[in-house]
Amino acid sequence: MTFRPSRRQLISGAASLGVLAAGGARSAFAQQGPKIVPIPGGEFQPMSIAIPNFVPGTPSDGEVGANVTQVITNNLKRSGLFAPIDQAAFIERITNIDVAPQFANWKTVNAQALVTGRMTRQADGSLKAEFRLWDVATGQQLAGRAYSTSPEYWRRIAHIISDQIYERLTGEKGYFDTRIVFVDETGPAQHRIKRLALMDQDGANVRYLTRGSDLVLTPRFSPSTQEITYMEFGQGDPRVYLLNIETGQREIVGNFPGMSFAPRFSPDGQRVIMSLQQGGNANLFVMDLRSKSTTRLTDTPAIDTSPSYAPDGTQLCFESDRGGKPQIYVMAATGGPAQRISFGDGTYSTPVWSPRGDYIAFTKQGGGQFAIGIMKPDGSGERILTAGFHNEGPTFAPNGRVLMFFRDPGGEAGPSLFSIDISGRTEQRVPTPSFASDPAWSPLLS
Amino acid sequence: MKVKVDKTLLASVALHVLVIGWGLVSFSSKAFESAPEESLPVDIVSADQLARVTAGSKTGKKENPKPLVEKVAEAKPVDDDAVGKISDKPPVVTDTSPPPEPKPVEKPVEKTPDPPKPVAESKPKEEPKPIEKKPDPPKVDPIAEALKKEEKKPPPKPQTQAATPPPQQNKPKERTFDQSKIAALLDKRDPTRQAVTGETLNSNASLGLSKGKAADNSATWGSMFKEQVDRCWKKPYGGIEAQKPQIVIDIRLKRDGTLEAQPIPEGTPGTPYLRVYQESALRAIIDCQPYNLPAAYFDEWKYFGGLFTDEKT
Repeated sequence: MTFRPSRRQLISGAASLGVLAAGGARSAFAQQGPKIVPIPGGEFQPMSIAIPNFVPGTPSDGEVGANVTQVITNNLKRSGLFAPIDQAAFIERITNIDVAPQFANWKTVNAQALVTGRMTRQADGSLKAEFRLWDVATGQQLAGRAYSTSPEYWRRIAHIISDQIYERLTGEKGYFDTRIVFVDETGPAQHRIKRLALMDQDGANVRYLTRGSDLVLTPRFSPSTQEITYMEFGQGDPRVYLLNIETGQREIVGNFPGMSFAPRFSPDGQRVIMSLQQGGNANLFVMDLRSKSTTRLTDTPAIDTSPSYAPDGTQLCFESDRGGKPQIYVMAATGGPAQRISFGDGTYSTPVWSPRGDYIAFTKQGGGQFAIGIMKPDGSGERILTAGFHNEGPTFAPNGRVLMFFRDPGGEAGPSLFSIDISGRTEQRVPTPSFASDPAWSPLLS
Repeated sequence: MKVKVDKTLLASVALHVLVIGWGLVSFSSKAFESAPEESLPVDIVSADQLARVTAGSKTGKKENPKPLVEKVAEAKPVDDDAVGKISDKPPVVTDTSPPPEPKPVEKPVEKTPDPPKPVAESKPKEEPKPIEKKPDPPKVDPIAEALKKEEKKPPPKPQTQAATPPPQQNKPKERTFDQSKIAALLDKRDPTRQAVTGETLNSNASLGLSKGKAADNSATWGSMFKEQVDRCWKKPYGGIEAQKPQIVIDIRLKRDGTLEAQPIPEGTPGTPYLRVYQESALRAIIDCQPYNLPAAYFDEWKYFGGLFTDEKT
């Protein structure tokens, strides 16, 4: 058999050899350069990282050092991008973080990165945290910082250090110093008590924001992370509320006749966009929080809901059944014609625009299943991340790399929160005190 | 009732039965047995890689690992068919004219014991000329013409002897050999075979194909290196978007396969992800030493650039 490459094959071959050409071009012009050998591929693998307990600056700081180390270890492990090494395997004991570690000892335990740190209670009562991130192979320090804070905020220090490590080793912004607002659900299925709750992204520091006498849904963070907007079934129609999580102050967003629901902040935090019921229809309205002026964005004999702004605030995506079934549409933030972007089988709902702007996450229903997926803002590149009975309500981490959603197995069991990477990897249950639904991820706190 | 049987018919039937019966036995179909073959590991080698490993000359020796290099320059392989076709062969014209009148031609110096003038050696090229494809054995007239041509030229060298014998009258011109005119006999065409160039001189031709590109067995040891470095390479997570990172790291290895020096990345990465990607490759190179590579090609792999990329070539 003879091999006769077609023109198309030759072209594609030439394209794939572009890599070689790019390398070869250099050696052709500069004869001193070495021969270029392509080393393609390499699979993604979690990076092995050693995090020995932070050294106590004073004898009483041992416990907080160990706690900070544990929080960092858990954060990095749950991201799925790191494989922290069991401390029992360590050969070397770090006693002074100001001298370089013996890297051979860390190479022996297969560590690729090493984090050393120190926690010191200062004379003024504040807590000083220092850390250094080392590349074990090259022996170079990749990052090093010192922070000072009140001792009760040691968890936040641990999250901030986790973000530093994550960012330096992945090239992506971290998302550990963030909070989740969600609907905490307790009690039997028929008489579920739903309360707004707030917690750190790792499930710690749970705080309840409402008492549970009224039904609450769809809480959303403001960009300042100080306020939450949500829908509450009070005595009459469901209304959109604004809640300051520091002061506990609560107010109704506008006083509209009929139902108002599905609120969300604009990226600048100055406006709230929501759906208002008008007869059998629902349309999108945006309200300026300062002037209280309200602008109508859609006017269709259909249900338009779940609006979500693009991060630059110029566009928004929303769900509408104007075409017969619920689908996702994109339009200018000022209103006008909308363009449908979802065309797969089934129905699409709860679209949310990534803080990076590159994807829109959604819930897709079809074939008796609820799936969480993402697509590009032009509707291309749809990809389902997880499917089953009943997944719903995706929310993006501030770096746009991770989604959180809730899953309800049905029956007596209640919903719980899960996180998943946007490539569909590392699905993990997020710890909550009881059943939980409707999560919303805050922006980075610092 | 007696049935009359035709004997020929009987014979015919008997013969047919015999032939068909024999055919049934000997042509009986036999199940085609295909013995299960052992599977062989096959590496896909691209045309480019093949060209590299087959560099050399058709006439070279197999045991020479490196191709012939006659001149240090940018690597250019030997061209086996460089002599090409001679197209400007002059027509052979037989001299049919009567013998010329005796002319007072100045007879060239004959048998002067001068040291041979190294005319030919002054030529810059030392390449052996493609003798086998020279024009036909010198005919009488072409040489005469060449000589005439040469005579028309101004006397090239101050070779005039003081004692020049007087011209001899009435003596038919004799064909003589003049060392100083050798140049006229030479092929004036430019040499069609260029010197084989490369990075280091090597006088021994190696076996291979003229279409090969260079002394390059990197397809062999390069893939061995890749296999080994792959074990340690934990590529950073680049998300679901194709970022197509490409970074080059200069690697210097010792004969035992360990690093001679820290690998040096070429250029500074433009994005945080590229920096992380570069660092991951650096880590892998350092972690995975020593490398087990074929000692025969040490000259090639002692210093090379590793192009780390996501592209599956």
